[in-house]
Amino acid sequence: MKKTTKSSPHKAPCGTGAGKSVPGSPSTETDPKYPPVVSYTLKNGLKLLILEKNFVPTVSFTMLFKVGNVDGQQGKTGLAHLFEHMAFKGTQTINSADYSREKVALDSVEEAAKELIAEESSETPDLKRAQGLRNKLAEAEKEADKLIVKDEYLKLYTALGENGLNAMTSTDYTGYVVSLPSNRLMAWMAIESDRFKNPVLREFYRERSVVMEERRMGEADPGRLMWETLISNAFTAHPYRNPTIGWMDDITRLTRTDAEEFYRTFYVPNNATLSVVGDVNSSEVIKLAEKYFGDWKYRELPARTYTKEPPQRAEKLVNLFFKAQPAVRMGFKNPGMNHPDIYPLIMASEVLTNGKTGRFYRNLVEGRQLALYAAAGASTPGNRYPSLFVIVSAPNAPHTVEELDAAIMAEVKKLETEPPTQWELDKILNNYQAEMIKQLESNSGLGMSLAQNEQLMGDWRYDWKAGEELKKVKPGDISRAAAKYLTRDNRTVVFLKAPAGKKKDGLKNQSPQEHR
Amino acid sequence: MSLPSAAPAFALPPSLPELAAVDFKPPKGERVVLDNGMVVYLMRDNTLPVVHMTAYIRTGKLNDPLEKIGLGELTAGLLKDGGTLKYRPDEIDKTLEFLAASVDTHIGIEEARADLTSLKKDLDTVLDIYAEVLMRPAFSPDKVNLRRTETLEMIRRRNDNPGRAAVREALRSFYGPAHPYGWRSEEATVKAVTIEDMRAYHANYYRPNNIILAVAGDFASYEEMIAKLKAKFGAWPRGKVKFPVIPPVQIRDKRQVFHMEKDIAQAYIVILQKGLKRHDPLEYPLTVTNEILGGGLSSRLASEIRSRQGLAYTVYSYSAKKPDLGYSLAYCGTNPATTARALTEMLRQYALLTREACPAEEVARARDSIVNSFVFRFPTPFELITERASFEYYGYTADYLDNYVENIARTDSKSVLETSQNLFKPEDAMIFVIGNSKKFDKPLSGFGPVTELKED
Repeated sequence: MKKTTKSSPHKAPCGTGAGKSVPGSPSTETDPKYPPVVSYTLKNGLKLLILEKNFVPTVSFTMLFKVGNVDGQQGKTGLAHLFEHMAFKGTQTINSADYSREKVALDSVEEAAKELIAEESSETPDLKRAQGLRNKLAEAEKEADKLIVKDEYLKLYTALGENGLNAMTSTDYTGYVVSLPSNRLMAWMAIESDRFKNPVLREFYRERSVVMEERRMGEADPGRLMWETLISNAFTAHPYRNPTIGWMDDITRLTRTDAEEFYRTFYVPNNATLSVVGDVNSSEVIKLAEKYFGDWKYRELPARTYTKEPPQRAEKLVNLFFKAQPAVRMGFKNPGMNHPDIYPLIMASEVLTNGKTGRFYRNLVEGRQLALYAAAGASTPGNRYPSLFVIVSAPNAPHTVEELDAAIMAEVKKLETEPPTQWELDKILNNYQAEMIKQLESNSGLGMSLAQNEQLMGDWRYDWKAGEELKKVKPGDISRAAAKYLTRDNRTVVFLKAPAGKKKDGLKNQSPQEHR
Repeated sequence: MSLPSAAPAFALPPSLPELAAVDFKPPKGERVVLDNGMVVYLMRDNTLPVVHMTAYIRTGKLNDPLEKIGLGELTAGLLKDGGTLKYRPDEIDKTLEFLAASVDTHIGIEEARADLTSLKKDLDTVLDIYAEVLMRPAFSPDKVNLRRTETLEMIRRRNDNPGRAAVREALRSFYGPAHPYGWRSEEATVKAVTIEDMRAYHANYYRPNNIILAVAGDFASYEEMIAKLKAKFGAWPRGKVKFPVIPPVQIRDKRQVFHMEKDIAQAYIVILQKGLKRHDPLEYPLTVTNEILGGGLSSRLASEIRSRQGLAYTVYSYSAKKPDLGYSLAYCGTNPATTARALTEMLRQYALLTREACPAEEVARARDSIVNSFVFRFPTPFELITERASFEYYGYTADYLDNYVENIARTDSKSVLETSQNLFKPEDAMIFVIGNSKKFDKPLSGFGPVTELKED
């Protein structure tokens, strides 16, 4: 069972701006309600969170930036994610045999790529010219290759004994993570400060092809396809509508110049939190962070005002035809994590979903045996802006998605007519508290959670504080929030159905024999 | 363990500090055997008020009867869900969920497991449920029907994720659909399982002398925890466990290509070759070899197929050990229009390993990667003690874990080459592809005789 505020992927709850540390003076949390996290802020605005844990000699690092796909421009969707891939390609000293010469070669690659993109994007592309430009790009890449030390950044970490070297981009944030034996602290500082201060986006167009494959992989997977369909249909104006990986057509036009511009705008120390959890000494971490990250330049960030999503006025029903077994995804517009109504909505999602005693399992999976699974989450795809209260489910054959949808909506309605009992609420709160204890077991998981809460929501203690807010929610609050938000004209529904083929109606298509 | 090889041999950029070796000796914990034969591993850890347990029950999906594939999985899943003689199913769910505790029972190919997590303050309540679930399950008919409905629905949905389907179906073709290493449950085999079958299955395998239990967390002393376990499990009688005879593996050492037509955005390629029996000492050089070939983003497959050629997001290789012959597997998801190109490169990388000795630096890096990240196998006391229990379960010597690093560190270019020559014969490897053949860059028939399969 997940903490309630973590019920959807890639997310952290938001909150107040309390508990900020003052630049230059470390502060240690002493309230026993919280773990003894040491907070410290560099003069350039980089925030540090350190928690010492000593069972094994390892340490987990999370460098988290408040920049995600939501911050990209229309026409350049996917840029945040593509930059994240590029951040594994080295610096002026890592992956390079001679950067001054390599830079010249990289500029030729960029010139050739831009010419090719312009030709391919023209209204009447000249196919022969495009092929010529493609060859020219390949030639330029071959020249640049001669000055590359292949995969040096990755090989460094391989030899250091990394665990879980990775990065993730969501619509809200980009995070870079790795765990290492704890005596690699200084090595991490040296490599990563270089990575974020001096990245070189070499092999850009090949990595762009890798991302296209990542997108194709998603297009072959009905689960990912349903999410993309739901979110892009639910939002009409706010950039949450764009998939984090980007639209394929945008990806084919992204350039290294775009990615470098994006980097200069958002990859600044005052847009980042670094969490360090494990077998370390906090004053040594601070000393090394000052040494390696202290000269990283502060820069003003742009205002981030994006088109507000207008109120939804119509129920949106989408039939997604795909050769897979039927399923349902739905989303109701929520008021955002800064709105007090979010707490009763979080509780509502847990009343429906929490365990085998949750209402969905009891009534839809077990009672009527309509659903193979059914679950809810209060905020997807992000937390920085108003988002979606989502429900995911799939029918057991021979039941149809329409039958399942009706049953789900009846359960949602019951939140109003049969408010949750005190037992249901106490169970949820018990689970939340236990989860707050268990999350302390994993260094990497805790590090990610601390960094997200600090950087996106303004306080690493957010999960604990949200727990206090959830305790105040009364059964009537949940009924009222359900009546206000979980309504037909506030929802978008995606039905995944097998392609119609020669059958007349959807009902026949759902029977299992049709798919054997 | 401090080893010369544990400090990276890789040339670091000049600005980087000197790196020391990683010195970590995994703690032993305690091991005791109860009078009824149950083996118990314990590790006390008072940092958080939580207790974890996991039991290894010696069975697995491979022990199912051919006409009732799914018996082990249904039985394991229903131990808790079906209630016990003492507790009704809804009592179990209500109690555990209110206490934010969990008891989970499940099964893999070669092991059945039962897990417990509880806050320290609720341990007595939760442990009583856990013990009842293991010893006296009731298999309530309603719950049996529910679980069967779920299982049948999962069978209907097994091809929804084509990448996962490719690996499963490739193994099925490799070992044959009637061999336990390759088989899958079917509608008919799941429907054939009766409650009586489940009771008999439980009575045979779920015996204290057939169980290794690992316990870690916040308890006062080993004596106290052992006394608790004796109170719950001490009266559980031994049983003579009957195991079925698993037929020997038969692998056709001759190139075969299997294709499953599907119009989807990517093609999924799986290459399979004969692997090792468990406990074969070749596992050490093979582990290093796989690290070089397809173990991470800087491995040869990822470097060539992903980073240099941009053909894939996912490409990797690994080897699996089994009681009888295991397998080596390579996987790639690519644009249908680059299927043959990616496949050719994968085969070429296997061939290269058998032809040319790897540079010493590359072998050293792969070794360092394994040695220096060894400590991550034990991020928590529970995971450490579980690892120790699992090695006993899988029949390794007691010092296997403690000598692992030394054994890996012995691998060199010569042993990597010999192991590759011994195990990899890419010209005979089995190839399995799911994808839209109309879009392939070259027909699969160029790789060998093709058998067309239908998704089912």
